[in-house]
Amino acid sequence: MVRVKSRYLLCEVNVSDRSSLLLLDDRAVAATVKSVVARTHGDYGAAMCTIGFSVKYLNAHTGIVLLRFPKRCYRLLWSALPFITSIETRGQKIPCFLNCLHVGGTIRTCQKFLIRYNTQQLHRMLPRCKNEEEKQQIRKAILSCSLTIGKREAFEDEAESEEDEDE
Amino acid sequence: MSTAKARMREKKMRNQPASVQFVPSPLNVGSSTQNGGRDTPDTGRPSDVQHSTPTQKKPPHRGGWVRGHPKDGGGYAKEMPKYITAGAFARARAAEVSAMLKAVSKTTGSNHVFGALPKHMRRRAMSHNTKRLPRRLRDVANRMREKSLQAGSKKKKELPKSKSRKARRRHGNLLLEFNRRQRKNIWLETHIWHAKRFHMVKKWGYCLGDRPTYKCYRPCYRAMSSHCLLQDLSYYCCIELQGQEDRLLAALSQLTSKEAGPTFAAALCLSGCRQGSVTVFRAGQYPSQPLGPVTFLWRPRTQGSSHRQLWIWAHPTIKQDLLPELQTVCQCCEAVLPPAVPVVTPVEANPTAEPESEPENTPEAKPVPGTKKKRSSKDASGPPAKKILGDGTRSPTTPVTWKSSLTGIIINDLTMEIVRYRLIGPQSHSVLAETLEAATDCDEVNKSQTSPLWWPQHCRDESNMNLHQQQADVFRILKDIYSTGELPSGAVLGLTVDDPRLTLPTKKVKALPSVKQAQEADEEKMRELMLRGVSEHCCQSFLWEQSVRDNVTDNKISEQELNRLRSEMLVPGSRLSPTPLQGRVPILLVHQPGKQMGHEMSSWGAGWDLLLPKGWGMAFWVPLVYRGVRIGGLNMSLKHSQNKATPHFPHDYPDCPAGVRFQEEQEAELLAKFKRYPPAKRTNYIKHGCLAPFRCPWQQLAEEWELIVKEGGEERKGDGQTTTRMEERQDMTVTKPPSCFTVLRNRKSLRLLSVWCRPTTSKGQRARRVGEGLPLSHSAVTAFLASHEMSLAWVRVSLLSKGKPELHAILCVPTVEDLKLLSKGQASSGPLEPPHRDHFKSRIKRQKKSKERKKSATSSSVSSAKPEDKQPNVASASNPDPSTSKDSSSDLILGLWPDPLPSVTSHCSRVTLGWVTQGDFSLSVGCGEAVGFVSVVGLLNTLFNQPAEHRGKVLLRNPTSLHYRFAKINIEV
Repeated sequence: MVRVKSRYLLCEVNVSDRSSLLLLDDRAVAATVKSVVARTHGDYGAAMCTIGFSVKYLNAHTGIVLLRFPKRCYRLLWSALPFITSIETRGQKIPCFLNCLHVGGTIRTCQKFLIRYNTQQLHRMLPRCKNEEEKQQIRKAILSCSLTIGKREAFEDEAESEEDEDE
Repeated sequence: MSTAKARMREKKMRNQPASVQFVPSPLNVGSSTQNGGRDTPDTGRPSDVQHSTPTQKKPPHRGGWVRGHPKDGGGYAKEMPKYITAGAFARARAAEVSAMLKAVSKTTGSNHVFGALPKHMRRRAMSHNTKRLPRRLRDVANRMREKSLQAGSKKKKELPKSKSRKARRRHGNLLLEFNRRQRKNIWLETHIWHAKRFHMVKKWGYCLGDRPTYKCYRPCYRAMSSHCLLQDLSYYCCIELQGQEDRLLAALSQLTSKEAGPTFAAALCLSGCRQGSVTVFRAGQYPSQPLGPVTFLWRPRTQGSSHRQLWIWAHPTIKQDLLPELQTVCQCCEAVLPPAVPVVTPVEANPTAEPESEPENTPEAKPVPGTKKKRSSKDASGPPAKKILGDGTRSPTTPVTWKSSLTGIIINDLTMEIVRYRLIGPQSHSVLAETLEAATDCDEVNKSQTSPLWWPQHCRDESNMNLHQQQADVFRILKDIYSTGELPSGAVLGLTVDDPRLTLPTKKVKALPSVKQAQEADEEKMRELMLRGVSEHCCQSFLWEQSVRDNVTDNKISEQELNRLRSEMLVPGSRLSPTPLQGRVPILLVHQPGKQMGHEMSSWGAGWDLLLPKGWGMAFWVPLVYRGVRIGGLNMSLKHSQNKATPHFPHDYPDCPAGVRFQEEQEAELLAKFKRYPPAKRTNYIKHGCLAPFRCPWQQLAEEWELIVKEGGEERKGDGQTTTRMEERQDMTVTKPPSCFTVLRNRKSLRLLSVWCRPTTSKGQRARRVGEGLPLSHSAVTAFLASHEMSLAWVRVSLLSKGKPELHAILCVPTVEDLKLLSKGQASSGPLEPPHRDHFKSRIKRQKKSKERKKSATSSSVSSAKPEDKQPNVASASNPDPSTSKDSSSDLILGLWPDPLPSVTSHCSRVTLGWVTQGDFSLSVGCGEAVGFVSVVGLLNTLFNQPAEHRGKVLLRNPTSLHYRFAKINIEV
């Protein structure tokens, strides 16, 4: 209906050294994006990037970032993203680049995409395992995120939380 | 963000995944368990893994980061995992997937199933019929519906199945309901009347009217000062003592002291023609441990008997302390059990007609089933329930009478047995005269018959009739006096009157004084009455007799019956004649003194107390109201005593147990009110330099003044000017253990203090100068202090210029500069207090932050990190002892000093003398007036150091203001 519309960019942070990924935090990412937009598009771009821009979600372990841009100028801002070469966080510079996986109109679609993407990744990982232990772990991970189980749990959760509120 | 908003948001966001970031843990253990209890349990995750699971919301400021800097100064590289395993990577992916799954599969916002509907199927108004939903959502919706139904029924179940309003309002059922509600708190007889018109409060075990719902502050004041204000004081407790006069006096003398004014044995009171008032102490403990003020009334002597009867009227909060004390001094410990079945009056043969029998017959154990049975029996036209008269909360087996075989004294608790109305105002006698009519004689026929009623029997005795005639004469003369205040204070008049309902006017008319010229003989009598009061034998009343009281109570004509009689009359609206025999009521009229102290407005607020047997409350109340009186509640009696310049119980008795209790209650109440305000709208009392806005630490004040004077004395000793007496006194105080403060009640000392308080060259008071006092000199002061250390004096404070004193305003000593300012011109409004700094504000903020952090951060990391960063906080907050501050900081409230108060006297720029217990703009004087207590030591010290023309001037500052106002202290005896 009537709402402020925006575009959500689901990006992947690609780094050379995966352990440095853990240093990321959402403010650092936001600052980097802002600075790179200002560099490429000047004050106009920087102004575009102030309202309606935010880092909605960041997973430092998988390197997934969900960026929100206003819908009318997301293409302009998006065009600046390839110029990111490093993210400065906690006093360190992490060389990296952002790879956009998905552009969605709602967070929900991005989440749905992410589920699909992650399971796909896990399935891809499975045959490339080096030893049996790893294989076992990945199998477990795949099982734990299969759709049917998740759904049932979710409903039970809901029921439980409801009861909590009542009391 | 308000809490409700935050809650909404939290509910909306609870399923949404939050950013997951690496949190370095100083201990390298257990940092993985970040998720709160409500998320999916992380199964099969080893605890030694270095990262956190991507499930919990993690705002950046709560993490290990403080404003962009690592908390413990960098060094992340060494904590970062050196390598990454495939398993960990897979787990991270899996966790993310499950988090996303949860976010996607759950609907946000309302927990209704409708949220899960596709958009095109949503409607604003949706049917509750689950069949209209798609099948996949139906079972969930069904479950929801059941749950909501259950919740609804749960709430409803608490309410009993109520009958229709018509049924509930039916007389019998209404009465049962009222009786049930009277079990917890005692209702006065005028309760229903008051409940319709007043804000009721539950106080002291009673339901009392506090203030009317309509605006009438000024009209009530006007009524008090020019017409008449009526109050129901039946909640005052009456304790009856019977015994030999000397025995009684001997016992009671332990409770009082002659130094504090006339005692129970005062000759005028003892004769029975005056009501006396006295402050009662615990036996032999004067001047410490007072219990509170009581009024007492002796029954006039009967010829040839030294057996006396005494009524002590006490406030309900005193009663619980007074009664055991009386029992010990009278050695009355044998409780006389009330008779199982009280004497049934023979007029109405129906035993249930006896009002007391209903509560007394039913055993205590079955009140609830009892009512049910009655309800069922009522339908079967059983005996109707009776109105509870008197104390409904007391169980019938509680003894109310105690007697002593040793002294022969009988103590009788007459609580709620006697109705007491107070009429305040100069015209209260005309109201009484118009309402009441001396009982008409009964004719010969009735006299000759034996009657169960008391009046015909009583009429047979000639001497009784003579007495009645005399009393009626006095009452008739009473009509013609100009003002109630002209009578001698405490005068008592016994009377028997007709049922006032018979002369009820059809319209409310204001009772006005009669203007007819009195005859010569009457004038003579009137003068006699005004000078000497009512003669002794006229003070006799049959209200003193238990049997007569019961008889009158039981034989009251019901309203219904009376109306029936009225309707049967030939001329509608005319007076019933002959008057029904039941309608003769013995009453006592007791004069209440007005303002006795001070010079202006003397005898303001004088009035009459009307004592009635129980059960007759409403029968007298409504006729009184129809005479155009105003009705006041509890807060009017407070204003009355304030204008009258008398201490009000329990507000102005901080050393009595009841006063202490009252102070605690008041503090809790004020604090609760303060806390109800949003924090930004609360007064910051610390900044106003007000240490205790909700209570007055009297004990601390008295102790500190003691110390100040002692230090002052030592300085003087160093100068070599001190007297030997001073030294002695100091030694005495050093060795003495700290005692409790007392309120100064010694008449002589108060008189002395009062003289000293007056400026010597005040214009208005020059003539009034009493020569008896000693001049204010050093030796006199030290002698005075030697006997009254640790004591407080009750003072009245009137402001010299504008300003309205409020509750717990501070009384301070003016400095020399202030007095100079004052003498320059009266127009100067007074000095200002420099604003104080709130050191606790930052502490509260810090505490809040740390609490938030505690909530969010992992338990292990917090427990190790917290003590280190808490300790410096505490040290910086200017409190030397960290352990106490930690304890007290748990209840830090913004704007209030935490509990161990600093020095109360020297906290502000002016030295504190005391506090105000009540303050208001006085309508009678036209300026702000307050009553309060000051430390006697401090007061004398101040007076001694002040120049003679400014003696008794103090500064008064409200707790919410920084402005000091000049005020004048009055001590009146």
